[in-house]
Amino acid sequence: MRFTGSKGTGSKYDPQETVLVNQRRKCMTIYRASLMFGILILGLIFAPVSMAHTPLCSCYDNGDGTITCEGGFSDGSSASGVELRVESTDGKVLIKGKMSEDSEYTFDKPSDAYKVLFDAGEGHMVEVDGKEITE
Amino acid sequence: MKKLFAAVAGLAVMALTTPAFAHFQMIYTPEAAMNKGGKIPLALVFTHPFDAGHTMDMGKPEQFFVVRTRGENAPKKTDLLPTLKPMNWTSLTNSGAAWETTYSARGGDHIFCLIPDPYWEEGDGFYIKQNTKVIVNVGGEPGAWMEPVGLPTEIVPMAKPYDRWTGQVFQGKVLFNGKPVSNAEIEVEYLNHEPLLDKKAFAKEGKATAPQDAFVLQTIFADDNGVFTFGIPKAGWWGFAALDLDPDYTHKGKKCSRDAVIWLKAVDMK
Repeated sequence: MRFTGSKGTGSKYDPQETVLVNQRRKCMTIYRASLMFGILILGLIFAPVSMAHTPLCSCYDNGDGTITCEGGFSDGSSASGVELRVESTDGKVLIKGKMSEDSEYTFDKPSDAYKVLFDAGEGHMVEVDGKEITE
Repeated sequence: MKKLFAAVAGLAVMALTTPAFAHFQMIYTPEAAMNKGGKIPLALVFTHPFDAGHTMDMGKPEQFFVVRTRGENAPKKTDLLPTLKPMNWTSLTNSGAAWETTYSARGGDHIFCLIPDPYWEEGDGFYIKQNTKVIVNVGGEPGAWMEPVGLPTEIVPMAKPYDRWTGQVFQGKVLFNGKPVSNAEIEVEYLNHEPLLDKKAFAKEGKATAPQDAFVLQTIFADDNGVFTFGIPKAGWWGFAALDLDPDYTHKGKKCSRDAVIWLKAVDMK
């Protein structure tokens, strides 16, 4: 901000104008550098925003042969419509569905080993091992 | 005249000493922030938490329920009163009638609310009724922890009472019938003796030693907007009791202090 100020004082009445112009050029370089630095900082600031939006998914065995998975985000926003896949351990999709209005999905418990994938897009995936799903 | 002065001074000292034995309604469960859902134990004990002192007999509560909120879902209220079982809780000096239950918690915020039966405090000559709130979160997904439940007297947290690091501040807003109570008096106490749920008793050893009685029970005041601020010096459960929020309230023709209690659990940053 100080550089903008020197621009103002560098009026045409200034006897040391050439010096000032040089300084101004230097300033511009610094300005550009700081602009780029600023963009970098902005990038850093925005990166944690997506981190503040961590996907969450917990699944529970309802004890009646069904599993309910509850999805959401750490900032409390809804996961309604987010895709949920139940896959066998070798990656075969057994069940595919979408989170309900209440951000949950209930499915019949597969007879073999399985995993649940809560897929809210790149970097927003939660994997739950079927073995860890209890009442 | 000197005698009178001494008597008055004596009474004043007694009056000042008595609050050191503050009553706190507890809704105790070991963890406020759980990674996974499951069955959690709940103990309702009316006691003096710092000293693990005299535990008062609780009557059958008027209401005990939980409001579960998860993300943007609508709150779900579940009555837990029918699940309560009577028990006896042993303090370091006596044992008192208390209640217990278990609850299956899934994801989100679980706001446990207790409206107890008024307790007759012979020593003070009035009833005490502490409407109490404890919030347990599962999985880190927040719900409506910051919203008033709508209890007649209530402390609404302004930070999650389950996510405080030791050394952070905690702010709460004191409400009576949904309106802020300016300059409300709040007593703060540390749950110094670990509750041992299997033994239904407090651990004999305390975690901290108070150099003087003023530290056992700390008194703070809310500001004009009913907001109080407290810096948390140690990990564990801290209780906040806003006192006598409805000065005209009576029970069975006697004065009844209508209080609001909330608990938080702080964790060391390691």
